[in-house]
Amino acid sequence: MSVRLAIDIGGTFTDATLIDEETGEVAIAKVLTTPADPSEGFMEAVERALAEGSVDAGQVGFVVHATTVATNAIIDGKIARSGCVTTDGFRDLLEIARQVRPSLYDTQFEKAKPLVPRDRAVVVAERLGPKGEVLRPLEDESVRDAAAILRREGVESVAVCLLHAYVNPEHEQRVGAILAEELPGIPISLSSDVAPEFREYLRASTTVINAVIRPVVERYLRRIESRLEAAGIEAKLLVMQSSGGIFGSDAASVRPVFMVESGPAAGVIASAYLGETLGRPDILSFDMGGTTAKVGLIQGGRPSVTKDYNVGGHAGAGIGGMSLSGYPVRTPVVDLVEIGAGGGSIAWVDSGGLLRVGPQSAGADPGPVCYRRGGVEPTVTDANVVLGRLNPTYFLGGEIGLDVDGAARAIEERCARPLGLTVTEAANGIVEIANAAMVNALHLISVQRGYDPRDFVLVGFGGAGPVHANALARDAEMPTLLIPRSPGIFSATGLLTTDLKRDTATTIMRRLDDLDPAEVDAAFTELEAAGRAELEDEGLVGDAIAFVPQIDLRYVGQSYELTVPAGDRLLERFHAEHDRTYGFNAPEEPVEVVSLRLTSIGKIAKPAARRLEVGECPAPKQHRPVFFAEAGAYVDCPIYDRYALPAGARFDGPAIVEEFDSTTVVHPHFAVTVDDVGNLIIEREAA
Amino acid sequence: MNAQLDPIAFEVVRNALVAATDEMVLALKRSAYSTNIKTRSDFSCAFFDTELRSVAQAFTQPVHLGSMAQQVPHAIRRYGAENLGPGDAIVTNDPHPSGVHLNDVSLISPVYVDGTLLGYVANLAHHVDVGGGAPASIGAFREVFQEGVIIPPVKVVKGGKILDDVFRLILAQIRSKHETAGDFRAQIAANATGVRRITALSNRHGRETLIATMDELLEYTERRVRAEIAQLTPGTYASEGTVDNDGYTDLPVRLQIRIEITPDGVQFDTTGSDPQRRAPVNSTFAMTFSACAYALKCLIDADLPVNDGFYRLFSLDAPEGTVTNCTWPAPVVGGWETQTRLVEVMFRALMPAFPERLPAGTKGMMCQAGFGSLDLARGSYTCFYEALAGGYGGRFGSDGPDAVQAHGQNTENAPIEETELNYPVQIARLSLVENSEGPGRFRGGLGLRKDFRVLQPTTFTILADRDRNGPWGALGGHDASVAEYVLIHEGIETQLGSKSTTELVAGDIVSVRSCGGGGYGPPEQRDPERVLRDVLEGKVSAGRAREEYRVVIDDRRLDESATNELRRGTA
Repeated sequence: MSVRLAIDIGGTFTDATLIDEETGEVAIAKVLTTPADPSEGFMEAVERALAEGSVDAGQVGFVVHATTVATNAIIDGKIARSGCVTTDGFRDLLEIARQVRPSLYDTQFEKAKPLVPRDRAVVVAERLGPKGEVLRPLEDESVRDAAAILRREGVESVAVCLLHAYVNPEHEQRVGAILAEELPGIPISLSSDVAPEFREYLRASTTVINAVIRPVVERYLRRIESRLEAAGIEAKLLVMQSSGGIFGSDAASVRPVFMVESGPAAGVIASAYLGETLGRPDILSFDMGGTTAKVGLIQGGRPSVTKDYNVGGHAGAGIGGMSLSGYPVRTPVVDLVEIGAGGGSIAWVDSGGLLRVGPQSAGADPGPVCYRRGGVEPTVTDANVVLGRLNPTYFLGGEIGLDVDGAARAIEERCARPLGLTVTEAANGIVEIANAAMVNALHLISVQRGYDPRDFVLVGFGGAGPVHANALARDAEMPTLLIPRSPGIFSATGLLTTDLKRDTATTIMRRLDDLDPAEVDAAFTELEAAGRAELEDEGLVGDAIAFVPQIDLRYVGQSYELTVPAGDRLLERFHAEHDRTYGFNAPEEPVEVVSLRLTSIGKIAKPAARRLEVGECPAPKQHRPVFFAEAGAYVDCPIYDRYALPAGARFDGPAIVEEFDSTTVVHPHFAVTVDDVGNLIIEREAA
Repeated sequence: MNAQLDPIAFEVVRNALVAATDEMVLALKRSAYSTNIKTRSDFSCAFFDTELRSVAQAFTQPVHLGSMAQQVPHAIRRYGAENLGPGDAIVTNDPHPSGVHLNDVSLISPVYVDGTLLGYVANLAHHVDVGGGAPASIGAFREVFQEGVIIPPVKVVKGGKILDDVFRLILAQIRSKHETAGDFRAQIAANATGVRRITALSNRHGRETLIATMDELLEYTERRVRAEIAQLTPGTYASEGTVDNDGYTDLPVRLQIRIEITPDGVQFDTTGSDPQRRAPVNSTFAMTFSACAYALKCLIDADLPVNDGFYRLFSLDAPEGTVTNCTWPAPVVGGWETQTRLVEVMFRALMPAFPERLPAGTKGMMCQAGFGSLDLARGSYTCFYEALAGGYGGRFGSDGPDAVQAHGQNTENAPIEETELNYPVQIARLSLVENSEGPGRFRGGLGLRKDFRVLQPTTFTILADRDRNGPWGALGGHDASVAEYVLIHEGIETQLGSKSTTELVAGDIVSVRSCGGGGYGPPEQRDPERVLRDVLEGKVSAGRAREEYRVVIDDRRLDESATNELRRGTA
C-alpha cells in the first residue's frame, strides 16, 4: 500500500495532507510557517501528518509541494546576484521596462527597480530580424567580453534575452554555450527556452525572474529533499506549477519561474477535480482567507490559464490584468481574480461619510477585534460574529474564544455611530459590501471573458469562503453552490488530485490561409515527442500520457491572441470565440496563427474519496440567533454539526453548518443536500 | 445622503459602476488593432448620466481627465439627445469647440433600459492616423483642416449596425484603413460591453436605486474633494514658462498661470499666455481644463473618484484666442505639448507651498514620433505613432525615475519586436541617455534614446519640444539636459527641429534623444554613495560626478577624503 503526501506552505500556516491511495483515508496537520527556513515547518508538518495517519515514512510514494518561496524571494529582495545579456544597443531593456508610472497621480511613485542593475547588464554583438533572419552574425568574442564583466561582478546566475530569439533561438544557444565555458557552474537561463514569447521586455522580465530565483529555489528544494531522505521518505519530490500541473524538483530547479504562483493554483485544481467527480465541468472557484479572496474559472473541466501576470506588484494604475507595477511574467498561470476582501479586511468610514471595507487588513496579527489579540479596527470577521454567523465558542474547533462584545463595540464606535446606523445594520453592511466586491470579481472572471456565471456551479472554500459563498451565489444568481469537506484545507487536497503537466509551444506567426495542415500536424508531432521525452526524462510518466493541442489565433493586425483547441473547423471556431469574448467578429478579415501549444499530461490515478453512510438528517446541535437581511432580523437559526451529517441528509436555510476549519452559512430560500462523500450541495429553492 | 438610498446599497452600486467602465477598458484594449491602442493603452472610457454629468471614468491616460468630460456632453447636446435611440452610437473628434486633437476619436452610445434613457457610455481612443498633411496625423500645419478629417458628432451605428456610408466616408480620409477599421470595431465593442453592464446593473438594483446612486455619488465626491481642498495651504500661486517654439517660427510660446486655492475650490487662470498661433501649439479649452484637473488630482487623495462632483470644485479662466483656449480654425495637434508644459508651470507655481509633494521639472512634453510609408505594390499605407518617455524630476527624498512618462501621459512604449514585425522599420537602438539627468541632491531621471531606421521611403514627423531648454531644477537642483532630434543619413548627423516632418530614404535613421528630469536640492549635498552607484552603473560619468556633485570617484571606488576636500572648497 502507498500513501500520497501534499505540503502547502502559506504565509501563516504550513498544511500537510496525507491520503491513503486505497481507502481514501485522510490525515491532516497544520503548523506555523517558519519563514527563516521553511523546510523546518515543512518537515514538522510531514512528521505530524505521518503520526496522525499512523503511516511509516517508507509507505510514502508521492510528495507534492506548493510553495511561495519563489515569490517571496522577489518580494523580500532575497534574490541571486545575477547578470543579464541582451543584444548590442539594448542594454537598458530592464531599466526602461514599459516606460510607465505604476500609479497615475502619485508624484512620489517609484518604477520597479530592475532585478539586474545596470552594471550587470551587458550586451553581445548580434542582431536578428523579426522573421528570425540574421542581420548581424553573433561575434563570439563579444560574448567572452561580456562574460569577463559578469565574472568581475561575481554573478551567481545569468539571463540571456536577445531580440527576436523567440523565433530563432540559435544565437541565444550559442551565447549560452560560450557562457557555460566562461562561467563554469553558473546557471544560464535563455529566453528562448524559458518563455519563447513575443515582445522583448516581457520575455526578458520572465527570463530574469527565472535567473534571479534559480539558485534560491534550487538550494531550497535540495534542502527539502535531503530532509525527506533523512526522514526515510524516498519518494520523488514534485512541485506545483502556477499553471496547475506538477513537475519534478529537477525541472523546478531549472525553470522556477513556472512555480511563482504555485499555492493559489492548488485551490482551483481541487475545485476542477471536485467538479469532475460530480459531473459538473463548469465551476467558479471561490477561495476566501484572512486577507484576500480569489476567484477562478473552470470551463469544461479545464481551469482557465492566463499569461498576463505581474509578480511583486500592487494594485495601482492597472485595471483587471493591466497592472503596471511589479515585474511581468509570461508563463502560464491559473487565471485568478484576487481582491483585498478577506476575513481580516478592515471596515472604515471615509472622509465623504461612506462605509468602506478593505483593502487594509488586520491580517493574522493583531487580527480581528474578536480574536482578542489587540486588534481595534472592526473587520469582516467581527461583523460575522456580531451577526451570529460565527460561533464564539467553536472557532477553529474552540481553539480561539471570540469576543463578541468587543467586536460589537468596535463596529459601534467606528462604523455605526458615524453613519447613524444600528450595530446590526452596520455589521450587515460590512458583510454586504465585502460580498459585493466579491460578486464584482466573479463577474470580472466570467462576464468579462464572455461567460454567464449562471451556467456555473460555485465552489466555496478557504476558512472564510463558506461563510460568504451562499450570499455570492444568491447575488450572482448562480443556482448551485458546493461546499467540500474540510474547506479550510481544500487547497492542499488539490495537490493530490493534479496530473503531471508540461506546457510546450512553438511560434509560427503565419497567416492561416498560407499554412499547410500537414505542417501543423508535423509541428504538433514534434511537440508531442518533446513533451513525452521531458516527462519520461524525469521518470514522470504517470499512468498514461495525454496531449492537449491548442492554437493561438488572431486577426492579422491584432496583438492579443485567442487560444482555440486544434482540430476541424478551426477558423469557424475562432470567429465564434472572438464573438463570445469581445462581442464582435470579422469573418472577412484574414486570420493569423501565432503559436501552437501543447500540454502533455501524465495522468495519475486519483485516490477515491471516502464514502459516508446514508442516513436521516440529525437534529441540529443547537439554535442561536443569526441575522439574515432576507428576514430583516435575527432569526432563531438551527446549527448543524457537519461531522454528524450522513449522506442524503437534507435541510432548509436559514441554517449554519459548523466544522473545525470553517462555518457554512445557508441563507433563507436555499436548501442543503449532503452527497455521498459529504459535500454540501446548496441549491435555490423553487420559487 | 438621499433618503431612499441606504449607504450599503450605495457602496455596492458605486463599485459596480466603476467595474463597468473597467470592463469597457479591457474590451477595447484586447480587441484593438493598432499598437497605440492595444499595447500603449492610449484611450479612456466613461459613463455619463442623462444630465450629461460624468459619473464614472476609467482612465489609462490622465490627459483624458477633462477632455472626455468636456467633449462628450458637448457632442450629445450638439447632436441632440432626442436623435439617439437604443443601439445607436455617434462618433466625433471635432476640436472646435470643446474637443481635443483630431487623433482622439470619441464614440458615444446611449444606454436605454426598457425604452428609458439611463445615460451614456463613451470611449475615446487615439487613432494612429486620421488623415491630414502627414502620416500619423501629427505635423506642423497652419490650420486644423490640414490636420486630418474633422468629424462633427455624426451617427455611425444605428440600432446596433454600423452605418456603412458614414464609415466608408471617414475611412476614405485615412491612411491606415485596416488598423483604423479594426480599432473602430473595438471601440464599438467596448461601448456594447458598457451598455450591457449598466443594463444589468439597472435590472439587478432597480432603475431608481441606480439613478439615486449616481446622484449621491456626485455629492459624495464633491464632499470628499472639498474636504481635501480644505487641507491645502490656501493662497495664490503664480508662475510662467515657455514652449521652446511653435513649429513655424522660432518665437517661444509664453505660458502664464495663476492658481488660487481657497477652502471652497481652486481657480486656475491662464491670462497673460500668448495669443494663439497659426502653428500647431494651440491647446483647446478641453486640453487646458485637463491640465488643471490633473494638477489638482495630484494634490489630493489619489483614491478619490473622478466625476462631475470633482470637476465642480475647480474652474478655469482661459481667455479665448490664446494658446490655452484657441478658437476655430486654429491647428491643435501640438496642443498637448503646450498642455503638458502648462502642468510644469503649475507645479513650479505650487512648489513653494508643496515642496514635499511635487517633483522638479519632468520631461514635460508629449515627445511624439510618427511615421508612415506607402506600399504601392500592396496598395497599403502603414502608419506608426508613439510617444517617448524622458526623465522625471527629483523629489523630496527620492531621485526622479529614469525614462518614464510624465503628467497626463502614461502610454507604454511600443515593443521593438512588435514594431519590427508590423512596420517597415528597424529599431537600431533603445537606451538611456547617460549624463542627461538634472543634478541635484535627488537627481532627475535619465532621458531615453530610440533610433528608428526606416527600411523604405518614409515620411517621419517629430512633434515634441525641449531642445532649447531642459526641465527646471528645483530648490537648488540643476536643470536637466535638453532633448535632441537627429537625422542620421549615410552616417552624418543633422539636427531636426522639435516639430518637423522629414522625408527619409531607406536606411536613414531618426534618433530621438529625450531630456532628463530636473534635479531637486543642491547636487553637492547628494549622498556620495548614491553618486558612486550612478557612476558604477554608467548613468553618470566620473567626470560629471566631480564637476556637478563634487564627488571624487577613482577606479570605481569612492575617494572620501578627496570628496570631503572638494566639497569643503565649495562651502
